[in-house]
Amino acid sequence: MDSENGDKAILSVSGLRTYFFTKNGTVKAVDDISFDLRKGEILCIVGESGSGKTVTALSLLRLIEPPGRIVEGKIMFEEKNLLDIPISEMQKIRGNRIAMIFQDPHSSLNPVLTIGEQITEAMTAHRNLAKSEAKAQTIELLRLVEIPEPERRFHEYPHQFSGGMKQRVMVAMALACEPSVLIADEPTTALDLTIQAQILDLFMELRKKFSMSIIYITHDLGVVSELADRIAVMYGGRIMEKGRRDDVLKNPLHPYTRGLIDCLLSESEKLASIPGTIPNLIDLPEGCIFHPRCISAMDICRTERPGSSKIETEHYVYCFRYGGR
Amino acid sequence: MSLRTYIAKRLLHAVLIAWGVMTAAFFLMRLGPNSPADKYIASLGAGHNVTAVVAAIESRYGIDKPLHEQYFNYIASLLQGDWGWSFGTSMPVMELIKTHWIYSFQLVLLSSIFAIVLGISLGMFTAVKKNSRADHIAAFFSFAGISIPHFWLGIMLILIFSVKFGWFKTYYDTSLPMLSLENLHALTLPVFTLGTGMVAGYSRYVRSAMLENMGKDFVRTARAKGLPERTVIGKHVFRNAMLPVITIIMLDMSGIVFGGAYITEVIFGIPGLGWMSLKAVFADDYSVVMAVTLIGAFVTLLFNLLADIAYIYLDPRIRYE
Repeated sequence: MDSENGDKAILSVSGLRTYFFTKNGTVKAVDDISFDLRKGEILCIVGESGSGKTVTALSLLRLIEPPGRIVEGKIMFEEKNLLDIPISEMQKIRGNRIAMIFQDPHSSLNPVLTIGEQITEAMTAHRNLAKSEAKAQTIELLRLVEIPEPERRFHEYPHQFSGGMKQRVMVAMALACEPSVLIADEPTTALDLTIQAQILDLFMELRKKFSMSIIYITHDLGVVSELADRIAVMYGGRIMEKGRRDDVLKNPLHPYTRGLIDCLLSESEKLASIPGTIPNLIDLPEGCIFHPRCISAMDICRTERPGSSKIETEHYVYCFRYGGR
Repeated sequence: MSLRTYIAKRLLHAVLIAWGVMTAAFFLMRLGPNSPADKYIASLGAGHNVTAVVAAIESRYGIDKPLHEQYFNYIASLLQGDWGWSFGTSMPVMELIKTHWIYSFQLVLLSSIFAIVLGISLGMFTAVKKNSRADHIAAFFSFAGISIPHFWLGIMLILIFSVKFGWFKTYYDTSLPMLSLENLHALTLPVFTLGTGMVAGYSRYVRSAMLENMGKDFVRTARAKGLPERTVIGKHVFRNAMLPVITIIMLDMSGIVFGGAYITEVIFGIPGLGWMSLKAVFADDYSVVMAVTLIGAFVTLLFNLLADIAYIYLDPRIRYE
């Protein structure tokens, strides 16, 4: 249990396990992860597809659907364990104290409701507002996320918006109740490169304005180096390494983190890559989950799961090369 | 193209299709070996000059003329609002329809309300309670409801509730005032007979449409906003699920009116259009059969058009351009 500097954390996750009980076996999508999110910081969760990033994010809001289930763990937020409170109380937190932005803005908006209605609804779900007041605030939000002609756009439907504009709508919706935590699950992945940059800029700006804490999920280390205060590297449903941005990016310790960064920085003609593929989450390798692909695997890695080793303040790595017991 | 132009265009199509149906029905009717006069002759008994009587009748109603001439005469009178003369009942077809349509209308209207309300509720319930015991039981009764033919269900209902328990009359009483509780009571078994299959079908359509939409990303968005489950299902999922369901119900409607309703009318002795047209077919009452066929074509086309228009209001992505 590592609630490092737990006093400053606004959201503290410990020992979270989210499994999917499928016909073919139990998928351990998130398997015993712990991290803290501090006030006003951006925590980037980095990993390949299938590493459990999205499931982690959905678990925080308890949006996991069957056959998935949060098996155990603790999510402390405002002195409550979100996994213990009744669903009605969870609904008061969703969208209000913790909001989420999803990966694909095209499918994440309801096609038969106006975007005005969809944003207003996020507001009135938590606040007693007159209709006209909610509308005025919604238009203000649309202006904030730089949607031109917000009064007119208020009455339009999602199909009348471009991908980037839809994602701005999603951002406006998430900000509707000025949440203290914003979870963004690869919010730029489904967008064109130029639009990606615009949305990132918007994020940076809004973060200053609202002093929110943000969990930003991405597989893009370029984005991470620009955005993150701290980083958690995930692989196969587990955290491999976590720490302050510069510690992790400039002094990566875990062989997996090193591999990831080599992929990005490789200057030779041929792109560097990590040999092998991500593990089958049903039939996980024994011991350290990364050992089959690890260039420096030792005997113990094949049999035992490494614990965390504290390297410096706030820099943790889960690897036997650095202790790991 | 505006909505108005679109509707005008569709109505023009409808007229053309109705003309095609009318032409086909006109010639098919006359392919038969019988003459409308035959039934009259049969009722006369022996001793008459059959040939002379037939000739007199046929000349009086213009059915001795060449077929193409009869066809053009029929169109001409149709265009003047004259639906022809019913040989079987000796009255203008228009009068006949005016007396009978209301019985079909009330039956279809009540059955549809019954089926839509119950079908949609049941569909939503079973979708939310997917794979529960209640869902399995509902599925069993739905498949039973879809499979049971109207004539069997109607007869069984009469046997049990009218004959054995005596809760209802065995036939429909036309002397009751249309807008009365007694009339509603009298229509219970007919509405149940016609509506059961509809309920069963609609609940299955609604269930699958709801389930399909429950897995969509925007439903997760709605939950992430903190909306209560009631709003997530009743608004976000339901609004999307209704799109295919509305079409199915609208297209189904003509089948209900000109299939199930006719049989139900005959079983319960309700003097509606179905009961009337069945009599007309047996009597070779040309004009009545023609009229009912034409009405059928028009109602079908009308519901198709209504389905399209409903879609515009339900799905903002659809614009007929």
